[in-house]
Amino acid sequence: MNISLKNISFSYTDSLDDAILKNLNLEIRSGECVVLAGESGCGKTTISKLINGLIPHYHSGTMDGDVLLGDKNTADMTLAEISRVVGSVFQNPRSQFFNIDTDCELAFGCENLGMDPEEIKQRVENVVQEFHLEHLLGRSIFNLSGGEKQKIACASVSATGPEIFVLDEPSANLDLKTIEDLKEIVSRWKKAGKTVVIVEHRLYYLRDVVDRICYVKDGQIAYEWTLAELEAKGPAYASSLGLRCMNLEMLNAACHSVNRHPRSETEGIHYFSCSQLRRDHQPRDVIASKAKQSIIFSNLTFSYHHKHPILDIDCLELPCGQITALIGHNGAGKSTLAQVLCGLQGSWRQKRAARKCGTYLIMQDVNHQLFTESVLDEVLLGMKPQDEKLALEILEGLNLKQYADNHPMALSGGQKQRVAIGSGISSGCDVVVFDEPTSGLDYRQMLAVSATLKKLAASGKTLLVITHDPEFILNSCQSVIRMEHGKIVEQYPLSGNENQLIKMMTGKL
Amino acid sequence: MTINKTWGFSPLAALGSKEQQSRNLAFALDARTKLFLALAANGMIFTAPLVYSLLMVAVASILLLLEGKWKFVCTFFFVYLSAGFFFGQVKNLDIGTSGTIILASLFLMYRIMPACAVLYYVITTTKVNEFLACMSRMHILNKVTIPLIVMIRFFPTVYDEARAIGNAMRMRGIRLFSLRTIKNPVAFLEYRLVPLLVSITKIGDELSIAAVTRGLSTETKRTCVADIGFRWVDFVVWAYCIAVIVMFLYRS
Repeated sequence: MNISLKNISFSYTDSLDDAILKNLNLEIRSGECVVLAGESGCGKTTISKLINGLIPHYHSGTMDGDVLLGDKNTADMTLAEISRVVGSVFQNPRSQFFNIDTDCELAFGCENLGMDPEEIKQRVENVVQEFHLEHLLGRSIFNLSGGEKQKIACASVSATGPEIFVLDEPSANLDLKTIEDLKEIVSRWKKAGKTVVIVEHRLYYLRDVVDRICYVKDGQIAYEWTLAELEAKGPAYASSLGLRCMNLEMLNAACHSVNRHPRSETEGIHYFSCSQLRRDHQPRDVIASKAKQSIIFSNLTFSYHHKHPILDIDCLELPCGQITALIGHNGAGKSTLAQVLCGLQGSWRQKRAARKCGTYLIMQDVNHQLFTESVLDEVLLGMKPQDEKLALEILEGLNLKQYADNHPMALSGGQKQRVAIGSGISSGCDVVVFDEPTSGLDYRQMLAVSATLKKLAASGKTLLVITHDPEFILNSCQSVIRMEHGKIVEQYPLSGNENQLIKMMTGKL
Repeated sequence: MTINKTWGFSPLAALGSKEQQSRNLAFALDARTKLFLALAANGMIFTAPLVYSLLMVAVASILLLLEGKWKFVCTFFFVYLSAGFFFGQVKNLDIGTSGTIILASLFLMYRIMPACAVLYYVITTTKVNEFLACMSRMHILNKVTIPLIVMIRFFPTVYDEARAIGNAMRMRGIRLFSLRTIKNPVAFLEYRLVPLLVSITKIGDELSIAAVTRGLSTETKRTCVADIGFRWVDFVVWAYCIAVIVMFLYRS
């Protein structure tokens, strides 16, 4: 089914950010796979919402122009009618399920369209086979990993058999292996003659399926390329537009020039090494040895059942003042390790040890850890004793001083993350653990996060970063730990092993 | 009658345990029977003597045991009986203001808990799609049922979010039992509620987007893959409830 957007202008009524479309024209032919790329806030998600009818039926705003699906105008259709032809998959796997279990979720769309129960059962069985979901049937949504959730979302949309698929940053929360599965799903749709529209920063996994890349800038389609055309312009051009790398195998060469000066940014040192906040007592379980060369954590175990330990690590050694990447597939126990390190899970003895040694977790959803009314209060909250001058110094180190009186919830995503980091520093921690700090970020935002982390490491903090982002690792990390089935499988310094890392992460080893 | 495939289960079941419980579907009641049971139990609490609500508790605990929730039943009876015991011990003593507050709360527990047990059974065992289907069988408008179902869907999400926020607070050293909380309990509530409200408004919005883009609407008539309908267990429960009600009316 053809999609055509004609002379679209749109602005949200109640939103402050100016994601406005200005006189946008876009034709997508039947059976085509189109990627909408562009920096955050450029309006690409708005385009996807125009296609699946959320604009003008769900979000209010002022709109000019027509969106045609086939020969029907979306303004004249109801959302229920549009949902018969357009299937949507969203970015956040946590909140796109209306049911609580997988079986119901797969049947949900069909039930809503009023299909015959026997036919629904048939269709569900078909998608289960097609997407290899047998092991996921009959499970609670709350116990699935992000990748599994995203697969269920794709399958349940696929079950209703729409002609058009709209995906809004579907890979943001996935590991590389699951992204590979996602790619297979997309190419299956394309083979079946469906039209696929994907909003995405990462282009490499769509190499074989994408027909056209539309670069959105300031509410208009600024450029259109085929993949070959974009590649011919070189990686530097792509990253200058905020696009992520297009070819993981070439990543190493591209990042080589940037990576090799990890300790060049030293200007931040005195802001973070606040001597007043140092803990003077050393806990028994954590022994800083070799004259502060590395921090050693011992006895990191966790299990729900005695027979199936989720985490089983005798000894974890983190090099001081460096950024260590923690990689591994979804469900390998990385997040559990982070929680045990920070005293959020585990026995009371583990929790006590964690509380003493000062580890701090920056969660993936930083909204969870911002409580107070102003950025300054946020930093003061965990501080003992409270010292406003010191807090302002910390904020200055994070480029947040001008926002000191703002409400944390009013800031952008990256700023919120820095506020959370500030609150960690002020509570006197030496080890900061990050849970996927760069998921869903474009190239420029990723570099900004990377710069903050490097600064933090240069000031003497020890960083452990859970990540699925090879580009980020090559940019900022000095060593790599890989986990599998709750155990540390290997640990090595990054320099010299870049190719091994990339091969490992793409599953080609 | 056994159905080997469970087409869905209840939202609140996710709260209970990480492992999915194996359910004995031969004793799964129709959603309409469950609603009737809940109504009857609630009516009894506020009008009838205690014996009648205990009769309702009996049927609810048998049903819960059949569902394999023996842990809940044991805890319930332990707490309930001890509340009843202490109430019996202290009700004739003269114990001043603070004693009266404790006495009143014990009494409240003693009277309200039977209804809670019945409601717990109803909420934890009703499946989303069965509930929707039964509602439409009873010719209740989608405009009423869809908001209800969104509300039910919301509970586990709020629980999930609240837990994540609690984790973040513990990391900052803000605990329920600490000097800081005792000094300033309002601030504690604020720290807890502000991020929760922000995140659940966002999630609520995303959930309803997920529902409408999948074609959930008030106009179209939904179908349901789950088999719904009355079976012999339903008739037993109906008969029991009606018998209890008739007995109560006759006695009074």
